[in-house]
Amino acid sequence: MSRTSHRRRWPGDALWAWLCAGCVALSLFMLATLLTLLTVKGLGHFWPATLEELTLRSGEQMIGQPLREAPMPTGSATERLYFTGNRELTGADWRWVGVDEIVSAATPADVIRLERSPWGDFIGRLIALELDGERLTGDSAFDRISQLLALPPSERSGELVLLSPSGRGLVQPLSGVNTFVAPNALSIGEKTAIWGQGVWRFLSEGPRAANTGGGVWPAIFGTLLMVILMSVIVTPFGVLAAVYLNEIAHQNRLTRLVRIGVRNLAGVPSIVYGVFGLGVFVYGVGGSLDQWFFDDALPSPTFGTGGLLWASLTLALLTLPVVIVATEEGLARIPDAQREGAVALGATRLEMLTRIVLPMATPAMLTGVILAVARAAGEVAPLMLVGVAKLAPQMPLDAEFPYLHLERKFMHLGYHLFDSAFHGDDVEAAIPLVYATALLLVLIVLVLNLTAIFLRHYLRRQRGES
Amino acid sequence: MADASLAYRYPLAPFYDVVMTPPSPAPSSLRTLKDRIATGLITAAGIGVLLAILAIGVFLVWETLPLLTHFDTLSLEKLSPLAWGTLKAAIAALVLAVPVALGAAIFSALFMTDRLRARIKPSLELMEAVPGVVIGFVAGLVLAPWVERHLASTLALLLWLPLSAGLAGILWHLAPKALRRALSLESAGLWLLPWIAATAALVLWAAPILEQQWLGSDLATFLDRRFGIDYTTRNTLIVGLAMGFAIIPSVYSLAEDALYDIPKPLMEGAQALGASRWQALWKVALPMAGPGIFSAVMIGAGRAVGETMIVLMASSNAALMSASPFEGLRSFSAAIAIELPEAPPDSQTYHLLILAALVLFLFTFLVNTLAEVVRQRLRRRYQRLGGA
Repeated sequence: MSRTSHRRRWPGDALWAWLCAGCVALSLFMLATLLTLLTVKGLGHFWPATLEELTLRSGEQMIGQPLREAPMPTGSATERLYFTGNRELTGADWRWVGVDEIVSAATPADVIRLERSPWGDFIGRLIALELDGERLTGDSAFDRISQLLALPPSERSGELVLLSPSGRGLVQPLSGVNTFVAPNALSIGEKTAIWGQGVWRFLSEGPRAANTGGGVWPAIFGTLLMVILMSVIVTPFGVLAAVYLNEIAHQNRLTRLVRIGVRNLAGVPSIVYGVFGLGVFVYGVGGSLDQWFFDDALPSPTFGTGGLLWASLTLALLTLPVVIVATEEGLARIPDAQREGAVALGATRLEMLTRIVLPMATPAMLTGVILAVARAAGEVAPLMLVGVAKLAPQMPLDAEFPYLHLERKFMHLGYHLFDSAFHGDDVEAAIPLVYATALLLVLIVLVLNLTAIFLRHYLRRQRGES
Repeated sequence: MADASLAYRYPLAPFYDVVMTPPSPAPSSLRTLKDRIATGLITAAGIGVLLAILAIGVFLVWETLPLLTHFDTLSLEKLSPLAWGTLKAAIAALVLAVPVALGAAIFSALFMTDRLRARIKPSLELMEAVPGVVIGFVAGLVLAPWVERHLASTLALLLWLPLSAGLAGILWHLAPKALRRALSLESAGLWLLPWIAATAALVLWAAPILEQQWLGSDLATFLDRRFGIDYTTRNTLIVGLAMGFAIIPSVYSLAEDALYDIPKPLMEGAQALGASRWQALWKVALPMAGPGIFSAVMIGAGRAVGETMIVLMASSNAALMSASPFEGLRSFSAAIAIELPEAPPDSQTYHLLILAALVLFLFTFLVNTLAEVVRQRLRRRYQRLGGA
């Protein structure tokens, strides 16, 4: 029917449908672009890139990893950005080279790349490994180095004799070397293995060199710990409030108003919760605790400054509406006949709640808590006010009594991303890791949300069939 | 009394005692006590939680009170650029997001098959889960430098996207019947994806060439030289694009619900009486779902006003009073995030920033309440009309 009518009223009438279709396509397109960008840039960084050895028109030799091209400010020529490393020799890690200045380019197999601290990456050639007066070269040196790198840094002995691309020699103690690869000589399989190791190091190590190297483990740990603490606080209170609203309070105008109010709190900007947390928890409660129990440490605050406990409490308050709304939805779906049946058989209200109603509403509660966790994991603005740190020297959980240090500041994935992207010294060097962090954060939040969606879907189907 | 009525309704009731044990023994006093205590605890916890939520508003008002004693023009001078920045960012985001979100909502509610809709809707709603800090990072460090170098391409793209969808429609009507059946309008939301990507690539290729031919330089330089318009890398346009991306899903989701829940007989009746789909949409669906769409836009506005990380990362954070879309801004939320940790408690700045938070709180709370009330009325209206 629609097809013929479309043709008769052509063209003005049918065009708007195409505009609407375009809107759907555009939204999907943007989402796909964002996810692809994060995946490619975030995971691509760990792939051992091919190193090019260039001979420039001036006769100079250089080795680097080509990154991107851009048109010159003047004229039509383009220039290419290379990552060259060797900061202590050349003064910079990066170099722009005009494309027409390159006489020849090659990818020799003996070029190596070291990640070391301090001084960042070295790119050049290995001459020899000096170990207890011995001097190893060639393949035996490579084998020995990979054995030695498996040891912890303090137990390594030996020095690498290196040759920079410009022909200068230098000596590098093995204890300062983190990774050692010769990317041009690797097969695809070996590259994949190195890529896997890179991803693992990113997930399991702490940040190095002002967030330009290393990993995000403390941030993952901090996020996890805060989210767990938050769920421990928010779940009982959210469920109790929902049970009160749905099962105990008289259903009148006031309850309806309260319900609308709670629902709307989910739309209040997160930064407002941060302000509340700072004013009430940190300055109010924390300041009083300091005066009562920690006055020997004053004026330096113990609880009177942002910390893990206050951040968890603030986020618990922020996610409270999410849990309440989800639990209430679950409770409202339970047919009244179940409750009446339980009471008719002689159960008290408590027994009816704990044996009949709450078990039936468990999946809904779980959905609410998962959604709350997803929201809290991605939230950064309130944390900036109540306790996140750019680099926490001590983990909030350690072997020292009382093991869990609620007053300590902690690292958070989202804030780590913000900080290394906007406040770093060398943003260009930090960007690849920022992409990886962003990808990790998006993955965590998306997986949590998908779990909640499937749980809810499963729940509805089960209800619908029974 | 109860026994008497039981005896009246079931004349044999007294004999049950003899024949069998009663089905529900009276709760023992211990169980009743437990029940009483638990009910009391739940009530206390429930009311406590509600009070804690209420405390947010009370705290914000209480901390703003000191300002009443010495509110001077200086405070006003400090707050007004922030208010303007907040408004400007929200308007930019809404202008870019609302048409896209409503278009998508109309399409998936009225055109898609239910199977397809069940896939597309959750995917679009997943957009909402992308954390603001990630969107802000991409906008501030990837999009902003790119747009600065390709300003003309960006603006051309914004104009071209609706045109390209229309062009697709025209080509579709001219196409042979077999092709039209393969690429149906119902699934257009999907197969237009490569079309949009391809035509966008075409614009990106052509725009710099045309720009050089017509203007002789790139657009940003041209605007500066001819009209004296400054271009800041992180500006309102970028904020609008990024925050638009963030609020599309919430507006889409609510508007789509309102449109999808319209009682089907209404639309079918209109079309049976000879209205085209366009007329059915314009004369029946939109007036019916109007309040729902309004509340969707309100929710989007509330989100845009309060969003912190995107504005913080995608704008220059300079407190300006300019209307130019190519200059930066500073919003209430960004100012709170930057300045409040530094401001000592009880200082003038501290109270001013809390006033800003109070404004955000009241605004979003009122807007959301309005939207919620409107939505509930709409649901009742649909129920009266015998719909879902």
